[in-house]
Amino acid sequence: MKKTRLASAALPALLLLAAGAQAAPVKIGMVETLSGPQASSGQAYRAGVRYAIDRLNAAGGWNGEPVQLLEYDNQGGPSGASDKLKAAISDGVQIIVQGASSAIGGQITEDVRKYNLRNPGKEVVYINVGAEALELTGEKCNFHHFRFAGNADVRVQALVKAMKENKSLGTKVYAINQNYSWGQDMEKATVQNAAAGGYQVVEKTLHDVNKIQDFAPYVSKISASGAETVMTGNWSNDLLLMMKASKAAGLKAHFATVFLDQPGNISNAGDLAVGHYVAHVFNAEASGAEGDRFVADYTARIGHAPVFVEPQTVFGLEMVADALKRTKPVNGALDVNAFAKTLEGTRLKTPGGEISVRAADHQALMPMVVSVVSKDARYKADGTAFGFKPVKAFTGEEASTPAQASCKMQRPD
Amino acid sequence: MDWIAFSLLNGIIYGLLLFMVSAGLTLIFGMMGVLNFAHASFYMLGAYFAYSLQGVVGFVPAIVGATLLAGLVGAGVERWFLRRVHRYGHAHELLLTFGLSFVIAELIKLFFGNYPVDYRIPRSLDVAAFVLGQQQYPAYRLLMGAVALAMFAAIYLLLTRTRVGIVVRSAIYKPRMVEALGHNVQLVFMGVFGVGAALAGLAGAIAGAFYTTSPNMALEVGVMVFVVVVVGGLGSLGGAMLASLLIGVLTSLAVGVDRSAADLLAFLGARDWAEGVGGLLTLKLSSLAATLPFALMLLILLLRPSGLMGDKD
Repeated sequence: MKKTRLASAALPALLLLAAGAQAAPVKIGMVETLSGPQASSGQAYRAGVRYAIDRLNAAGGWNGEPVQLLEYDNQGGPSGASDKLKAAISDGVQIIVQGASSAIGGQITEDVRKYNLRNPGKEVVYINVGAEALELTGEKCNFHHFRFAGNADVRVQALVKAMKENKSLGTKVYAINQNYSWGQDMEKATVQNAAAGGYQVVEKTLHDVNKIQDFAPYVSKISASGAETVMTGNWSNDLLLMMKASKAAGLKAHFATVFLDQPGNISNAGDLAVGHYVAHVFNAEASGAEGDRFVADYTARIGHAPVFVEPQTVFGLEMVADALKRTKPVNGALDVNAFAKTLEGTRLKTPGGEISVRAADHQALMPMVVSVVSKDARYKADGTAFGFKPVKAFTGEEASTPAQASCKMQRPD
Repeated sequence: MDWIAFSLLNGIIYGLLLFMVSAGLTLIFGMMGVLNFAHASFYMLGAYFAYSLQGVVGFVPAIVGATLLAGLVGAGVERWFLRRVHRYGHAHELLLTFGLSFVIAELIKLFFGNYPVDYRIPRSLDVAAFVLGQQQYPAYRLLMGAVALAMFAAIYLLLTRTRVGIVVRSAIYKPRMVEALGHNVQLVFMGVFGVGAALAGLAGAIAGAFYTTSPNMALEVGVMVFVVVVVGGLGSLGGAMLASLLIGVLTSLAVGVDRSAADLLAFLGARDWAEGVGGLLTLKLSSLAATLPFALMLLILLLRPSGLMGDKD
């Protein structure tokens, strides 16, 4: 008697819970490096994600409820990311966001692919806002991965075109990169663009990642090669220390970089960064009034101007928000496959320019701006007298490179 | 030819810098038996102190001030932390300094942020010492080398030629006897730890301006410093000097060698086979430059576990 009463009381409660779970808000989980030596990159991505989600919720969220943002610290490594991804999925997260490190991105995309294979009907989607290794849209490409960032091919092509046009590229290019997937991609892309850019790759160097204090030996090698441009995908200390060492040695070559706009670089390098180039997704000066509005709004909400990887993160998440808006709920919940199909067809005008997703490999066609460090820039970096002066802007279509043949995407029915 | 001269010079100066950082570590270990995991944190503290003081008092006084401040912090750590756990043995001391390194890193992030700060060498020192071929050699590098050499000479003379040195050395081997003779052994230990920390602080203040001053700098140099101390022999000042120079020159020269094991096998006519196998056999030596010191450490540990000049087993 007692037992049945308990059961009869429990049943409606369970039903209530189940109903509650169905109408639960969409959860976006950020699995990012939030502690340890590379925490600063993770925090930059976090700032961008928070800004975009706040805007999404201010506009009404999804299905009448605010979207929830959950943050997970992957502690800077693939194994931590794998654990935190499991935690996120069990917390009911349907959209995973991550950007810092291609190694971590590679782990997440594989884990997501396997999880989705084993759990049809409960898919999750991985929104990659910064892991730029080519394999993520190549051999490892899958339907539930979207990249809202550049890649080595896109960045090098933009740098080569813009620098050739303003005659600063020269005919001798030196490729120096970090020895892992991203750096190797950059080296390959530099070699591939040689004919189009009319240059010769005088020498290629791969070195250990963020282990080298003294770049003087590398700089003497660059100097001995007579290179006019140094093409590099280096980031963080590997870029800063190399610039400092080359200035100290009186090297005349221009640096063509991808991550020169990381905070701290310009303040630390100061005038010795002048004349170096960067290929980035957004430069407010190149975007006119729309860019000014974005910078002002972002600064008001986050506390600093959108730099480094923040703009691409914001644009990527705004694409997600736009696709969410057009995805109808199924029984009060989000159907991830339907969402992913909508995202494939999303075309959005962002402050940086129009962004769309290529269905073949889920690489977003992001606009690119090649800028040079100069005193004449309208927006100054890191509170110094220098900033990034746009040299040439490319639309998403102009900047894009063909999808890789190695991508064989399995699409759901 | 120019290239070899430059590489040697680069390697020697970098080696001397490594010596500056590791001197304090090996000193503290040799004198007190404490393996100080937080040593590189004092290096970082030195750089941040100098950065903070530079705007107020100028570059050279800032370096002196940073050295003293780092030394004071070191002495404080010995007085209020290490001394309390001393009687529980070396494991506790090691754990304490390990924890301390995290605390210092987080405090730095709290006060100065996550990104590198704007600490640079002053313009008057930012000049070329000489030009060889088409390359300049920065004067500041020579200055760093000179400071390291002066430091080596000063510590060596202090320990072997002065009364203070005699008291310090005897306090290590026979603390009770020294105490009975009326010397304050506690004070000696505090002094040694303070001086060790001050040396790291000096290295940080000088190198931080040339390289970068960021919350990661302790981590970057910390591992290499341990390699130096292990290769040189724990507690041996001369060994630290030898190991630093060896590592500096080795990494610097390796950068220029674009050869792999496959090239070596080519002499045996096995190049095609090696290139077919790939992997380690086709890896260029230059891409391994920063890893070579670790290989050296492994070799030393296998062949001569006490280090090049160490006397402790």
